[in-house]
Amino acid sequence: MYEPTNGSYKNRVCHSIFYAASRHQVLLAQPCSIPLMSGKPFFVNRYQKLGWTYKQVNPQQAIRINTMNAGRDDVVNRLQSLGIALEKIPFLQDGYWIRKSKFSVGATAEYLLGLYSIQEAAAQIPATLFAELEDKTVLDACASPGGKTVQLADIMNDSGVIVALELKKRKMFALANQLERSRVTNTAVYQMDAREASKMSMKFDCVLLDVPCSGNYVTDKGWFNKRSLKDVERNAGRQRQILAEAVEVTKEDGELVYATCSLEPEENELNIDWAIANLNVEVETINCHGEKGLTNVFGRELDHSIEKCRRIWPGQTQGFFVCKLRRQACG
Amino acid sequence: MWVMKEIKDFVGQFNASIALDASHIVRNRNRYYLLSKKLKHHVPESFFYAGSYLGAVKGASFFPSFLLLSMIAETKANKMVVDKKTAWLFICGRDIFKKGILEGNKLKKGDYTLILNEHNECLGFGKTTCNLSEEADANKVAVKNILDIGDFLRREKRQPERQQRSRRLQGRAGKPRKPTRK
Repeated sequence: MYEPTNGSYKNRVCHSIFYAASRHQVLLAQPCSIPLMSGKPFFVNRYQKLGWTYKQVNPQQAIRINTMNAGRDDVVNRLQSLGIALEKIPFLQDGYWIRKSKFSVGATAEYLLGLYSIQEAAAQIPATLFAELEDKTVLDACASPGGKTVQLADIMNDSGVIVALELKKRKMFALANQLERSRVTNTAVYQMDAREASKMSMKFDCVLLDVPCSGNYVTDKGWFNKRSLKDVERNAGRQRQILAEAVEVTKEDGELVYATCSLEPEENELNIDWAIANLNVEVETINCHGEKGLTNVFGRELDHSIEKCRRIWPGQTQGFFVCKLRRQACG
Repeated sequence: MWVMKEIKDFVGQFNASIALDASHIVRNRNRYYLLSKKLKHHVPESFFYAGSYLGAVKGASFFPSFLLLSMIAETKANKMVVDKKTAWLFICGRDIFKKGILEGNKLKKGDYTLILNEHNECLGFGKTTCNLSEEADANKVAVKNILDIGDFLRREKRQPERQQRSRRLQGRAGKPRKPTRK
C-alpha cells in the first residue's frame, strides 16, 4: 500500500490523494465486512439456516378441473384424446400435472370453454382449506389473475357471493376474462386496495388472503438478482396491513386463509406470529401437503401454534406457505 | 327497458327468446350484467365486473358475451353442430364449410346461428351465406364467423397492445410542448 511521506504542501496533497486511493483499493480487495442482504449466497444461506438445502427444481405445469362446468373423468378423457398425458396430483382432488403435451394447454377448446384452469399445484391448496363454502359470503382480497377466485366459485358450486378485490386496473381485465371464460356468476370484482376493504361495509364468512409477496426463485428465474431483504421486509409490512384489515372485515368465528408463494419467514411465520399477538385470531389445524410451519426462525422462538401452518419447500411444486386462521369472538 | 330491448333483439336474431329478470340487470358503463338475487342485495353497484356478463353496447351494436350465447344455446334457437376439425378451425377464427356441418342444415341465407361442437357446447356464432338445404358444393363457405371463443386468447393479446398505446398517448398528452420561436 502507498504510504504518505513528508514534503511540500503540493506533495502532501498529492500524497493524501494517492493514500486515499490505495486505501480504497485495499478495502475493495478485502472481503467486505458489511454483510450484503441480497444475492443468491445470502438467500441460500438463510434457507440452510431454516433447515432446507437449496436445489434447482422445475415443477411440472398443472391444471385444475372446473367441476361446476364438466365432470372430472369427462375432461380427463377429452384431454387424453387430444394427446395430453395427465397425472393425478395425489394431494389435490381436481388437480392434474401435465406430463406431456405437444401444444399449449392454454389453447384448447376445453380450456376456452372453461372446463379447466391452468393453476400451479401448490396454488390450488389455499382455496380447499375452508371448512364450508356453499352459500357463504367470501372475500378474495388480492384476486388477480383469478385462478383462486374461480376455484372458490367451483367449490361453492357458484352459490353464495364472492367479492374479489384487485388494486391494479390492468390486472382486472385478465380477472374478468378468467371469470367469463370459466362461467362464474357469483362474483363481483372491485378495483380496491385490500387494505381498505372495510370501506365496503360488508362482513365475510371466509376470507382468502393470497397476498402480494416477494415470490420465489422457482417461478422467477432472475429472482436472486432482483430481491433483497429490504424488499422482503417491505412486502411483509404491507402483508401485515392487509391481514389486519382482513380480520376487521371477517365475521366473528369466520375463517381466513393466508397464503404466499414466498420462502422468506418474514412474509410467513413471522407475520402469523405478529397476527396472533396483535389481532384477534388463532391458528387452525389444516390437513394438506407440506411441512410444519417453523416455530424457531433464526433463533427467535415463535408461538407454538404456528407449527399448524404448512410450509412447502420447492420440489414437486413451487415454494409456498399457507395458514388457516379463525377470528375469535370479541370479549 | 332499453337494455332488455337490445338483448331481446339480439336473441331474436336466432329465432329464440330467453327469460331474463330485468330488475336484476345492471348497466355499468356500456356493459350489462345479470346479477343473482344475493349479489343484487349484498354488493355495492360500483363494481368492475359482476354476476353473469351479458354483453356490451358500442354505438348502435350489441356485442354479446359467451355466457349469453350459452344461455341462448340452451333454448330452441338457430344452431348447428359441427365436426371436431371444423370446430377447431372455427375457434381459430375461420368460416365454416358445408362439409363440416353435422346437424342444422335447414338454415336459410342470412340467418344467424350458434355454432356448437359435438358435445353441444357453444363455440360462438355466425351468419349463413347460402340456403344450406339447397347448397350442393360441400367445399363452399356456409357460415361466416362473427364471434368465437378464441376471442379470449385474442383479447389477452390485444390488452397489452391497448395499454401500451394508451400509455403512449398519455405520455404524449402529458409531455410539455416545445416552445416555438416566433
